[in-house]
Amino acid sequence: MGPSRPRRYLVLILLLCGFGLILFRLVTLQVLQAAELTAKADRQHQKSVTFEGARGAITDRHGKVLAMNMEVPSVFGVPTALENPLRVARHLAPVLHIRSDEIEKKLRQDRSFVWVARKVLPEQGRQLEQMSLEGIGVVMEGRRFYPKGPLLSHVLGFAGIDGEGLEGLERRYEPHLHGEKRITILQRDALGRTVFPKGLAEQPPTPGHALTLTIDEVVQYIAEKELEEAVNHAHAKAGTIIVLDPQSGAILAMAVSPRFDPNAVAALTPDRWRNRALTDTYEPGSTMKVVVAAAALEEHLMTPGTMVFGENGRMLVANTTIHDHEKLGWMTFAQMIQKSSNIGAAKTGMILGEQRLYRYLQGFGFGQKTDIDLPGEVSGLLKPPKEWGRRSLASISMGQEIGVTPIQMVTAAATLANGGVMMKPYLVSEVRDQKGHLLKEFRPQVKRRAVSPETARTMTTILEGVVMNGTGAKAAIPGYRVAGKTGTAQKIDSRTGAYSATQFVGSFVGYVPADAPRLAMIIVIDEPQGEAWGGTIAAPVFRRVGEQVLNYLGVPPSGQVKVAMAAQGR
Amino acid sequence: MKMVTILAGLILVFVFVWERVDTVRVGYQIERSKAQKLLLERERDQLQVRFSSLTAPERIAKMATERLGMIQPQQGQVVTVHERPEGIPVPPPVPNEVRVAKNDLPKRLRE
Repeated sequence: MGPSRPRRYLVLILLLCGFGLILFRLVTLQVLQAAELTAKADRQHQKSVTFEGARGAITDRHGKVLAMNMEVPSVFGVPTALENPLRVARHLAPVLHIRSDEIEKKLRQDRSFVWVARKVLPEQGRQLEQMSLEGIGVVMEGRRFYPKGPLLSHVLGFAGIDGEGLEGLERRYEPHLHGEKRITILQRDALGRTVFPKGLAEQPPTPGHALTLTIDEVVQYIAEKELEEAVNHAHAKAGTIIVLDPQSGAILAMAVSPRFDPNAVAALTPDRWRNRALTDTYEPGSTMKVVVAAAALEEHLMTPGTMVFGENGRMLVANTTIHDHEKLGWMTFAQMIQKSSNIGAAKTGMILGEQRLYRYLQGFGFGQKTDIDLPGEVSGLLKPPKEWGRRSLASISMGQEIGVTPIQMVTAAATLANGGVMMKPYLVSEVRDQKGHLLKEFRPQVKRRAVSPETARTMTTILEGVVMNGTGAKAAIPGYRVAGKTGTAQKIDSRTGAYSATQFVGSFVGYVPADAPRLAMIIVIDEPQGEAWGGTIAAPVFRRVGEQVLNYLGVPPSGQVKVAMAAQGR
Repeated sequence: MKMVTILAGLILVFVFVWERVDTVRVGYQIERSKAQKLLLERERDQLQVRFSSLTAPERIAKMATERLGMIQPQQGQVVTVHERPEGIPVPPPVPNEVRVAKNDLPKRLRE
């Protein structure tokens, strides 16, 4: 006999109620709270993380690696999956060398994903993988390495923790260097472990493009070594050196002292990584006489033999007295440059007149950026003639009342070395993709003709005289013909607003071999202690760097060339 | 005829199953190779960084001067020899000068 009818109804009602409750719950979860719960579930088992393809490498002109990316482990946590953050933090602390309370603080956040430590050493990553802590994962991320340490640091700049270029070439060429960005969904599996979707392994993000520089690693090293020695020896505040090929404008070396290591910039201030070669202006002093003299020759106002009176070392201009470092009488125009006479330069400027001098200063690139491919370049300071004072013409002619950058000054000297044609200075010669295909090539670019080839030749002869018989004697490189000019300028004292009696900038700008220039170079030493003459502190750096670089490049001394030619002609 | 059809069907099923199994096997092989490639690429990058830092001119110069006692070449110690450009003929060799003592010469040549 079966159950009685009321009992059957009771069971049916109970079943209906049960199914009704289930249905109600289903509707509540799947319909009414669907959006909220889906989002909550996603937050718990999914996290979108942006990954970027490896940043492109930077190499010198011979393919030597100066900056590249390497994959290193980054450690992350999933706080929502952690039962005991304190215990996990205590396990992590000794491996990561981070205080456990700091790690615990991160792991207690109400988030589904936190970085615990990024870009740690490979060994630390391996240790953590072996420990396989719950709620802790390790992923590989690209980290920027500068294997040569401080070499070329002011030019290369550096990239930040997220791989974005922050300074120097890293910043300027960011659109080329950075890899493809891809958002990836990080997921937890059924056991709560964090896994990547399979697709990531199949299609890694495309890496960035590689840059080939005009820089020569060896020339850069020689320049940095000699500059560092000179700055340390003179107890100077800073120093700058630029070496370029005058025929193409390709920069072979660019260095600033003191140097910094781009692998460890966290503790440094921006002042340390500023590229003074293009961000700092200084009053050039006597090196400016090169431009004034070239202008006077070009305008046929002077010849190398034109006689100039040195006023016995004192001359009154606009109620102020201009001095020379020695009492000079009558001298030729060429001797005036060789002896670096302020009075002679001031007289030359006055003969040229405001408009013509201004035009030539602009022609040689002063008061405007050189457009070198680096960020932060300034234009220098060149006021238009309508803003000049009564003494300005004389002052500018001897390198005062004008602010220039080292890159402007060396470009001007390179113009004379290149027969009067100004080339645009540049640092990057090629951009290639990850497979080595050439994407972009930068060729030498002519900016303008500043003076005629005849004027450039005459100036070279005069500037050779500066090194042979004048103030630049210490720049002479035995066996080679050197053309150049020294400069010593007083700095403006920021407290008094007047020229300082103790703070100077000593410099030397020149090129070698004078008959067929291969190198144009500038050396600027900021605030040397003791003797501050450009001919004493900067010219010897030119000689030491020039001697080594010419040997390295295989440029034969002038005498050897003649022997070879004689042998051929026999 | 029936047997042939069944046999053909079985072969077809076998080929289909074998193809599926082999696809999975090759798929695993590809995955393993990809993982290995990734590891090798990482190792290559690590070696490249190491190589670059070990060949830094600063390090080489330091080792050359401090460990091996080498010095910069002095003036005149470097002689640059350039290859003769094509098209320029090689000059004839200069005849060697032979010095003979006067007493060793035949009589007719002594005057």
